[in-house]
Amino acid sequence: MYQTHKIYIQEDMVLADLIIENPSLLLLMEFFAIDDVINDDTVESICKKNNINLSVFLTFANLYNGFNPNRKDINTNNIDVRTVIKFLKKTHLFYIHDKYPEVHKYIKQLYKKQDKEVIERIELFFNDYFNEVLEHLRYEEEVAFPYFCKLLGDESKISDANFSVNEYREHHTDIETKLSDLKNLLIKHIALKGDFPLKRKIIQSLFELENDLIIHSMIEEHILLPLVEELEKNKNFG
Amino acid sequence: MDRKRVNIAVIEPSRIVYEGLANIILKAKRNSFVYWLSDFCELEQLLNKTGIDVVIINPCIIQNRLPEFMRYKKHHLKISWISLVYSHHDNQLLNQFNETISILDSIEAIVNKLTNSVIKDDNKVVKEQLSEREIGVLLQLVNGLSNKEIAEKLCISIHTVISHRKNIIEKTGIKSLPGLTIFAISQNITSVNSIPQ
Repeated sequence: MYQTHKIYIQEDMVLADLIIENPSLLLLMEFFAIDDVINDDTVESICKKNNINLSVFLTFANLYNGFNPNRKDINTNNIDVRTVIKFLKKTHLFYIHDKYPEVHKYIKQLYKKQDKEVIERIELFFNDYFNEVLEHLRYEEEVAFPYFCKLLGDESKISDANFSVNEYREHHTDIETKLSDLKNLLIKHIALKGDFPLKRKIIQSLFELENDLIIHSMIEEHILLPLVEELEKNKNFG
Repeated sequence: MDRKRVNIAVIEPSRIVYEGLANIILKAKRNSFVYWLSDFCELEQLLNKTGIDVVIINPCIIQNRLPEFMRYKKHHLKISWISLVYSHHDNQLLNQFNETISILDSIEAIVNKLTNSVIKDDNKVVKEQLSEREIGVLLQLVNGLSNKEIAEKLCISIHTVISHRKNIIEKTGIKSLPGLTIFAISQNITSVNSIPQ
């Protein structure tokens, strides 16, 4: 969301330079658990050092830089499904333990000066919204990911629920509508007099959350699902 | 949505030419939005999504599809059609357009031509506030009434209720019922006590 120029990231580029251009990539580093000093190391050497599948890193990093993946690059020879799932699990922790408490804390602070009844409604709306997000994340953790792991031949818990591509996709639309309503209310309609810094922080956090959720659904719909479909096909024919 | 905004579609196969033109348009600081289409057939799709005020086309694209182009022009009378020329074209073809921009035109000339081509209705006052009727419908909505119940209560047709709802969503930018409830409370249209949780 802070992105300045669009840079198409390649393996021989210096990661630190890329972060200076687009600080949102810090999140990507966090999700890939890169917490060493990076000096002037290239993307390739950092991936090697941290045992990260280079194609996955490049594809995701370019998503953060605003480039959608090429359909032809998305296949199991090129992209490692386990790395994708591991990454997505990390993003879940970020939504639950970082973004949600952050926005919630700001909303709580609004009670000091603002009309209690309006803030109560906003809090309720945000909680409802986040419950929907949680439901989707739970579905992924309990139904989708175990199913994908089974396709990969990994040991996993046996799930009773059936995985459905359509159900997976439907979740995203509902989540996006509610978040857009909340942003519109705060930007256009609700004054919150005397609390502008708080209002700004909430709106910025919501944008950050939205931006990451959009990338999250892009990864699921345009990378993970095609890979899963390929795995399913191989299984049926193989 | 901002009704003063000018939406411009550029149908030009060359990405380089498009980027250059879009840069000039956006830096002219008129409230405008530029869409890039690589072919004529994508226009219909765009028109379904948003209103378009100006279409800039490379005439090469319609050279052999003149009847199709004329049909479009007839259907969309409010659109201004501008040709973007960088090679020689028949006058007969160029006469089909309201204006012609040459690739050698100065930035000022391009901006002027664009400004003169935009037919914006000045009588169309920007009015984003809800009308009394819309407020009436909103009140019943947040009270949990269905379209049919609202129609009966306000003595209007169900069709009118739906059209009011559409306008409310368009003007406020809020789609969900709980969102509209917060809107109504914050604007003092209704009080918290009068609506169900």
